[in-house]
Amino acid sequence: MQRVQRVLLHVRKPYRDTTPWGAICKFVRTKPLGAAGAAIIVLMALTAVCADLIAPYDVYEINQQLQFTPPSLAHWLGTDEFGRDVLSRIIYGARIALFIGLVSSFLGATGGAVIGVLSAYLGGKTDLWIQRLMDILLAFPLLVLALAIVSVLGRSIPNLIVAIAIPVIPRTARIVRSSALSAKENVYVEAARAVGSSHLRVMWCHIVPNVMSPFLIILTAQLGSAILTEASLSFLGLGTAEPTPSWGLMLSGGAPMYAEKAPWLAIFPGLAISLAVFGFNLFGDSLRDALDPKLRHRT
Amino acid sequence: MRGCKKSMLLLAIVIFTGPWAMPLALAEDKPHYGGVLRVALAGDPPSLDMHQEQTFMVTIPMSTVYNTLVMFDPHQYPKIIGDLAQAWTVSEDGMTWTFTLHQGVKFHDGSELTSADVKASWDKIVFPPEGVVSTRKSLYQMVKSIEAPERYTVVFRLHYPTASFLPMLAHPANFIYAKKYLDQDINWYKTHAMGTGPFKLQEYVRGASLEFKRNPDYWKKGLPYLDGAKYFIIPDTGARAKSIRAERTDVEFRGFAPVEVESITAQMGDKVTAAHSGQPAHWGIAINVDKKPFDDARVLRALSLALDRYEMVKTLGPLTGLDSIAGPMPPGTPWTLSPEELQALPGFGKDHEANIREAKRLLAEAGYPDGFHTVLTNRAVKLPYIDLGVYIVSAWKKIGVEAEHKLEESATWSKSRVTRDFELLVDPFGFAAEGDPDEIMVKFTSGSPSNWGRFKDPVVDQLFERQKVERDAQKRAQLVHDMQKRIMDQAWEIVGLWWTRVEVRSARMHNYEPLPSHWMNRRLEDVWLSAK
Repeated sequence: MQRVQRVLLHVRKPYRDTTPWGAICKFVRTKPLGAAGAAIIVLMALTAVCADLIAPYDVYEINQQLQFTPPSLAHWLGTDEFGRDVLSRIIYGARIALFIGLVSSFLGATGGAVIGVLSAYLGGKTDLWIQRLMDILLAFPLLVLALAIVSVLGRSIPNLIVAIAIPVIPRTARIVRSSALSAKENVYVEAARAVGSSHLRVMWCHIVPNVMSPFLIILTAQLGSAILTEASLSFLGLGTAEPTPSWGLMLSGGAPMYAEKAPWLAIFPGLAISLAVFGFNLFGDSLRDALDPKLRHRT
Repeated sequence: MRGCKKSMLLLAIVIFTGPWAMPLALAEDKPHYGGVLRVALAGDPPSLDMHQEQTFMVTIPMSTVYNTLVMFDPHQYPKIIGDLAQAWTVSEDGMTWTFTLHQGVKFHDGSELTSADVKASWDKIVFPPEGVVSTRKSLYQMVKSIEAPERYTVVFRLHYPTASFLPMLAHPANFIYAKKYLDQDINWYKTHAMGTGPFKLQEYVRGASLEFKRNPDYWKKGLPYLDGAKYFIIPDTGARAKSIRAERTDVEFRGFAPVEVESITAQMGDKVTAAHSGQPAHWGIAINVDKKPFDDARVLRALSLALDRYEMVKTLGPLTGLDSIAGPMPPGTPWTLSPEELQALPGFGKDHEANIREAKRLLAEAGYPDGFHTVLTNRAVKLPYIDLGVYIVSAWKKIGVEAEHKLEESATWSKSRVTRDFELLVDPFGFAAEGDPDEIMVKFTSGSPSNWGRFKDPVVDQLFERQKVERDAQKRAQLVHDMQKRIMDQAWEIVGLWWTRVEVRSARMHNYEPLPSHWMNRRLEDVWLSAK
């Protein structure tokens, strides 16, 4: 009897009925690490959006007199081999990282979700062939696949986005498919079919809402990974090209060559990449805990 | 008395220890047989046939396998001495050169070298058959015919007498191949290495190393001193420098940036020798004049005006070695334009603000008041290519020209250059012989294979034709000055900066002097290594 009362209590005051502000407060209270991650993401997004306003110097301005200036009041993070301000380049680098990370993750995750839902819903041989194709793509490590794609397509920002998005597709498709498979077995899906709803309507109205949680989780999880892949490809000389301010490029350009003379060239872009990936991973983990009904009450 | 005792004691020490110490000191000067020289090389050779290639990645390792007809004396540059040629004579009118070859010279396969081999090799360079590339063909416009009248005699007949003939003949890339293999397949040497040189190619592992072993039957008696040479393929500049610092390689023959040299010498002290060997190359921008808007002279001038070479030298000099301003001819020679002549040319005036204003005016007049978008194709090599590209792309932003910096791997970049698949291209050029105008300026003539932009200027062509036959040195220098000024005034090629080469080698390497060009003195026949 007591057990039934507890359940009813939860039904009366469900988590999703709180106001948005209340939900945020609860999220901060219950998931402090996730909140820290969210704060990093918000800070990074603000930096990227307001780069023109907050960057203290022109990122392309070459100044011979300022070559290798150590961190100082005028140049908080020092200057590089061309006398360009490192802080300004990191601020603008956030724009590139976030743009490529967001667009590629969104494209990859959306593509993967569509394939996952279709694969689960259609089943049979279609499901079999789609899953084998996903297996092939999954067999390649993320960075190796991205490297191969950039090598074939050539170096440019759109190609970089495609190269980062494609490896995300099978990872999302696999997860979304498993959620869609269980959603497909629900009685209301059978009922919708019975009353003559089209396949598209059944998928869009009854299955897609059920796979939104895993979709959002994998989207945030892949964002950090996408930023890291962009930095890695740029570091390997296959991403954006100098003088575009990119974190990976900053690490690969003068940093290794002048590491002894100007260690700040490697330290600060490295910190920026680590912080961004850390932020997205923390937020992604907490989001998963919050959205997964099995984990929701663990804290 | 006490002082006298001390002096006597000192004298006794010198007398008794001298005989032991002297041989040790002398031993350092006496050639020492044995050892394998380890060389850091920036990349794989595209093919092994130097007649068809134009990169130091081939010349540096492959020079060990071959001889040339004549050569620059490695110890008294720019003196020219015979290599396979024992002696030569020239007719009074300067039109016929007769070379007598050494007898008993053996190829690595045991066959004897004769004048037929020399003729076949030089015919391949000067008169290549249809479909065969000869990258330096245009350097030998003066050659009318090559004959082999006797077994050990080769005769070069010229169209016109010229002072540049012998230095051009001594170009280090003109390897002598065996006729029988060329007859078998004209491209045989692209994949094989078989010459008369001091070393034989033992193993080539693509992407890893090229290994050469001593030729015990080398025709120059007593040479080489080394047991072999191993070239490690290390594409990254920083990694090549680290290989020297870690003593995993003994030398890097192309050269390092000044800041890198500073670090190496600071760390290694007298274990290494750093030498400023010369200014063999220039980096500029080739312009594809068939693509819009580069068919408009005003646009070309504007691009040149936007570059502040005086600031560029200060910024790029310490980073890359691009540290000298001059025209297309190297600095410090009779061909060099004076500072006054330079400053009168677009982009070389010292008032940079005025240059920028003029550049913007020219662009507006050409119909591009807000600039335009373009692509600068560049080689994905940090020094000096990428650094120069970064500087130029950033500088052009000031006049509204947004250039996408397109980086390509060496082979792709080389292909883009040859097929003219570019709008603007970072273009290195220079000399590997003596720096004669015939060698350097030929690239600016219509139809020259290395005129990548394919511009055609009858004035430039005429000046080149006149200078190549002019025998009065002063008049010739004036013609070369006029030619340079014309090219820079029209901005057919955006002249950039000249590069000072700094070579770092292990102090164990003896009997070796770096010459101005990194292509020169790469045979290693008389180089020796002291014991560790």
